[in-house]
Amino acid sequence: MLFTESTLVFIALNGVFAFSFYAVLVAGQLSLAQAGFAGIAGFTAAALTPPPLQWGPIPTLLFAMVIGMVVGAITAVILGLPTMRLRGVYLAIATLGFAEAIRIFLLNSDWTGGAQGMSVPKTLTPAVAWVVLAIVTYWFARQSRSRYGRALEAIREDELAARSIGINVGGHRLSAFVAAGVLAGLYGVMWAYYVRLMAPEDFGFSTAIDGLVTAVVGGTANFIGPILGSGFQTMLPEVLRVTGVEASWIRPFISVLALLLVILFLPGGIASLIPRRRQKVDVAALQTDAAQLSLRTHPAAGEVVVELKQLAKEYGGVQAVRGVDLPVRSGEVVGLIGPNGAGKTTLVNMVSGLIPPSSGTATVLGVPIGRTPVHRIAAAGVTRTFQHSKLFNRLTALENALIGAHVVAKPTFLRRLIWLPSARRDERIALAHAARCLDRVGLLDKANTLAKGLSYGDQRRLEIARALAADPSLLILDEPAAGMNHVEADGLSALIKDLSADGLTIIFIEHNVGMVLDTCDHIVVLNFGEVLADGTPEQIAADERVIEAYLGAADEPDADDTTSAPAQPAEENSND
Amino acid sequence: MLQQLLNGLFLGSIYSLFAIGFTLVFGILDRLNLAHPSVFAASAFVGIWLTDAFDLPIWLVLILVFAFGAVMGLLIERVAFRPLKDRPDAHFAGLISSIAMAGMIIALLQAAFGPNTRRFPVGTIPEDALNMGDLTASWLQIIILVVSLGLMIALSLLVQRSSLGRSMRAVAENPTAARVLGVNVDRVTALTFAISTALGAVAGVLFALNVNSAQLGMGSAIELKGLAVIIVGGMGSLSGSLVGGLVLGIAEVFAIQYIGSSWRDLIAFALLFVILLVRPEGLFGKRKVREV
Repeated sequence: MLFTESTLVFIALNGVFAFSFYAVLVAGQLSLAQAGFAGIAGFTAAALTPPPLQWGPIPTLLFAMVIGMVVGAITAVILGLPTMRLRGVYLAIATLGFAEAIRIFLLNSDWTGGAQGMSVPKTLTPAVAWVVLAIVTYWFARQSRSRYGRALEAIREDELAARSIGINVGGHRLSAFVAAGVLAGLYGVMWAYYVRLMAPEDFGFSTAIDGLVTAVVGGTANFIGPILGSGFQTMLPEVLRVTGVEASWIRPFISVLALLLVILFLPGGIASLIPRRRQKVDVAALQTDAAQLSLRTHPAAGEVVVELKQLAKEYGGVQAVRGVDLPVRSGEVVGLIGPNGAGKTTLVNMVSGLIPPSSGTATVLGVPIGRTPVHRIAAAGVTRTFQHSKLFNRLTALENALIGAHVVAKPTFLRRLIWLPSARRDERIALAHAARCLDRVGLLDKANTLAKGLSYGDQRRLEIARALAADPSLLILDEPAAGMNHVEADGLSALIKDLSADGLTIIFIEHNVGMVLDTCDHIVVLNFGEVLADGTPEQIAADERVIEAYLGAADEPDADDTTSAPAQPAEENSND
Repeated sequence: MLQQLLNGLFLGSIYSLFAIGFTLVFGILDRLNLAHPSVFAASAFVGIWLTDAFDLPIWLVLILVFAFGAVMGLLIERVAFRPLKDRPDAHFAGLISSIAMAGMIIALLQAAFGPNTRRFPVGTIPEDALNMGDLTASWLQIIILVVSLGLMIALSLLVQRSSLGRSMRAVAENPTAARVLGVNVDRVTALTFAISTALGAVAGVLFALNVNSAQLGMGSAIELKGLAVIIVGGMGSLSGSLVGGLVLGIAEVFAIQYIGSSWRDLIAFALLFVILLVRPEGLFGKRKVREV
């Protein structure tokens, strides 16, 4: 007998637990605190819930489940808030330590019964367990194609790029954590109300590893993954039993072997074997789709949009940017040129809010720079591209542009949960908007290609399309023509002029001086972190200091590079 | 009081030895090898088996276990880390693949030795103790201190003075540049893993001697403490791990004395959490310039 009642229940239980890992894994976060969430939620719920005689078994169970979810959520916030800044390995360690601390706390408290644990009435039935699993699965199925779900994917793919297009990374991470806490809490309660006896040892490191194995083996490629993983993890001992394998080490061995094989050879898990339905765009339908995203009104031409006053940045004694004063007016195309290491990228990093200035002040589109988070600055209308492209590589060109529209698209997840038609309409509008942005840079025919599969020039253009999707008032391009051929660079130049005609302000770093002279209204030359010259293309082309420092460079073209290159350890050279 | 300090020092030196191997891989290769604790446990069992079955003296057992740990390190690097090195999510995948390796090692350990607690035979270490004034130290404790401090000094000499150490530091600074300059990065990586787990293996035997038992779960028990030590000391900082381990050992001994043994284990996590929040680069770590 392979499918006993308890196997069925445990597939559902382990599935819910796996979803609590899935909830954070889709955002690229490895948390190992789920066993701790489950433990504290299970014990608290069991302690607060009256015995089932009073209300009957099902209401009692529901009450306990609600308590478990609330406790799980609160615990997740308590862990999530202080660890907001931690990434990767550090986050894994902090969560592991937190879970262990919870276990020790439970073990040493009186109300939990200490090492003995608590006994709980068995009220969970297979039907209830599967209904819960179905609801959870439905939740994640609706999440994946919503604005929220895409934002989590963006964070997983490239956190910095996600922030720079206006995604509140901290907030999204925290909400993913809370989802993990709720589900782990739910699991803890359901588990306790099925196995009847729980002890703090049931929520230790090995439980966390089991959950991780289930989630990773099942895969995060789509929402079916956790259920597949749970099926594997739960059926494994049953299959071994039926086939007569007795040794107790074989089950854990096979299960971790599966984990190793999956991570080495099938990173998306079993679920990645199911082909993913990509969001496709129908080029023909675009013209007829009249509804548009509500777009920004750009500041009137000539209004000051960027005001830098004595802006400076110092890296450990090295002045990357020193005392730059610069106004940028709406509708201008400003070229930023200068030798390598002159501080161009540092300057635009400050303007886009990625790094705080060491001194001086800057206001961009009315927002003060320094303490304002990057996503707020992006929401105010500043988006950018990066010197080395930071695309969401495992997503299609269209999906990249769709995520770029985050700040102008409407949130759709909650409405998608209840199938409101308006959510569907908003998704369609956002899709059409993303497609138009691709069209603008000439990539519409590659809409359904994965970003990593695009040619170098196409990747640069996709970055521009993604930045445009946010409908910025100020667009910052960091060496967009690098690696482009003549024809592509001419096309880019035409695109920039075209965007400027729409009222966009553009700041544009480029080494191709001919292109800059041809494209810009206003050119700023930086050298050693200072403004060397500032004027119209004609003035710059005639300026002798500029010719000496940069343009002509007849005698010693490398002198500037060698002296100033070490000044930029964190800037121009480490953009990947 | 002074005696407690001394006892804390003995315990702490094992933590240091364990953690220094742990942090070596992180410091040089920027990878966290979560299979390190399973080597710690496996070598304790192997050490007991060697002593039991062949009646070997403890110094020989320590040398053999050191070699065993090195081989395990090579294996772990080969299976769980090298295939992943060019993947964009290598960090994340490495954590998971090393967790998988750890699980496999523990499962195989159970297959070979069974689930029960094992002990060193009586008389492996002379039982008598040394008295210096009011202080006592057993031979065991002196062996622990000498072996672990000796290995850590040897490690720091290796890293600072030898040509292998110079290559290791070059790889830590910039693997691509090191490769361009002719450093065999794959070889340095493999050797770093081997040294790291060899130290963890010796720590496992010393720990099993100290508490006179080896259990399958001993790795995960020390894993979290080791993580706490390397976080407190600063990820990748060898001297930080040394100091961090000693501090943790002393803090635990005093905690048993004054707070009670049941809360002892919380010390490590409290330290870990506070440091992570206040100064994630650790007490001795260097603050990394933000990558943009």
